[in-house]
Amino acid sequence: MELQETQDKAGFEFKFEGKPDYGYVTVKIPAGETLKVEASAMATMDTNLSMKTKFKGGFSRLFQGESLFINEFTAQNAPAEIGIAPAAPGDIDHVYLDNEAIFLQSSAFVASGMDVKAETKFQGLVKGFFSGENLFLIKCSGVGNLWFNSYGGIIEIDVNDGYVVDTGHIVAFTEGLEYNVTSVGGYKSLFFSGEGLVCKFSGQGKVWIQTRKVNPLAWWVHPFRRSRKNN
Amino acid sequence: MDIEIQLGPGSSAAKVSLASGEILTAEGGSMIAMSNDMSLTTTTYKKKKGGVLKALKRMISGESFFMNHYEPGPNGGDVFLATALPGDMMTMELNGQGLVVQGGSYVASSHDIEIDFSWQGLKSAFSGEGLFWLNINGTGKIVVNSFGAIYPIEVDGDYIVDTGHIVAFDETLDFTITKAGKSWISSMLGGEGLVCKFKGKGTVWCQSHNETSFGQVVGPKLRARK
Repeated sequence: MELQETQDKAGFEFKFEGKPDYGYVTVKIPAGETLKVEASAMATMDTNLSMKTKFKGGFSRLFQGESLFINEFTAQNAPAEIGIAPAAPGDIDHVYLDNEAIFLQSSAFVASGMDVKAETKFQGLVKGFFSGENLFLIKCSGVGNLWFNSYGGIIEIDVNDGYVVDTGHIVAFTEGLEYNVTSVGGYKSLFFSGEGLVCKFSGQGKVWIQTRKVNPLAWWVHPFRRSRKNN
Repeated sequence: MDIEIQLGPGSSAAKVSLASGEILTAEGGSMIAMSNDMSLTTTTYKKKKGGVLKALKRMISGESFFMNHYEPGPNGGDVFLATALPGDMMTMELNGQGLVVQGGSYVASSHDIEIDFSWQGLKSAFSGEGLFWLNINGTGKIVVNSFGAIYPIEVDGDYIVDTGHIVAFDETLDFTITKAGKSWISSMLGGEGLVCKFKGKGTVWCQSHNETSFGQVVGPKLRARK
């Protein structure tokens, strides 16, 4: 397989396919190098890759809706390719961290280089609770590649003068952006707009949003379930 | 007002760029992101203009009772809109001609567009398909969404479309709700149920998939609800 797409900064060669609905990534790991991959996301790989299961992030990972384990794939003797597919159909994106940090929604982590540190961050009860999402975010920092995914498509937004994002649609955002969970509009909008709560970002940076959410799909299917007969 | 549909047909979102002074009216719950200084007002009909009856009628059509109006700050701004289910979106431009939109397919429109319950849709109210329609009139832009992809069909004469696959159609078209086969028995057993028979000249926009059918595929696989 020919891997043509490379990024501007130094990092592993990789190629996206199937975006935005069925996005997956193929990464070429140089000889002797290691890639961290979210457990169960490996779909295909060369035979000279050796896999080691690591327990990362400790106890708090239990609460993230993320699987508890990250697998490390090391290319033995020669370069090797690995095909990585996230669990939900949707989009996949990439950043190269150069001593920077990015916050991911708890289920968005796909893979990263070894020098990217992934740690869980408690959002605080108010932010976490009202965002309707998990109480934890994953903070990825350091140097290297980072791939992340979402259900639905991903749109990258440059934030220069603040931005408002529906709480459930945040995939990732760069460190340095401040955010508050708040409502939009007046009192009438709070109750009747159907928009619920939003995250108000301020400062400069980037936000990645997802165009679909899993929950509304699940709620939509619910009425189609058979009803249980009570005898 | 500039509308760009991104990431279609499966994960579509509409990026609506508003200049200062322009107002976008959108269905409740459809906003996923917007500029910081965008102001949101919620009313039952138009900004600074209520209309409880209109809202009630719209609600019967499967839309929300309240409408959200987005107005940007002095430098303009963007609103991103998306829907709950996988599918595409489409922008249509109205220059006075009317459009009939399936209730659940309406997403947003420029503020000068009139949205009203379609009495014509009542023809199909008893069809069991739960089909209600909106009459859209005026001059401006409208965004509709679909389950699956959207494709147009130019009707000149007669054409039949399954009621579950209609997104929108030109008001110039006349229609009747009828059975798909020759007899009621074959129509029902054939799983086609009711269809819409269009007459005249105009366009019908169809969706490639029918969400009710999909729900009926997935639902029985899940544990029964209490």
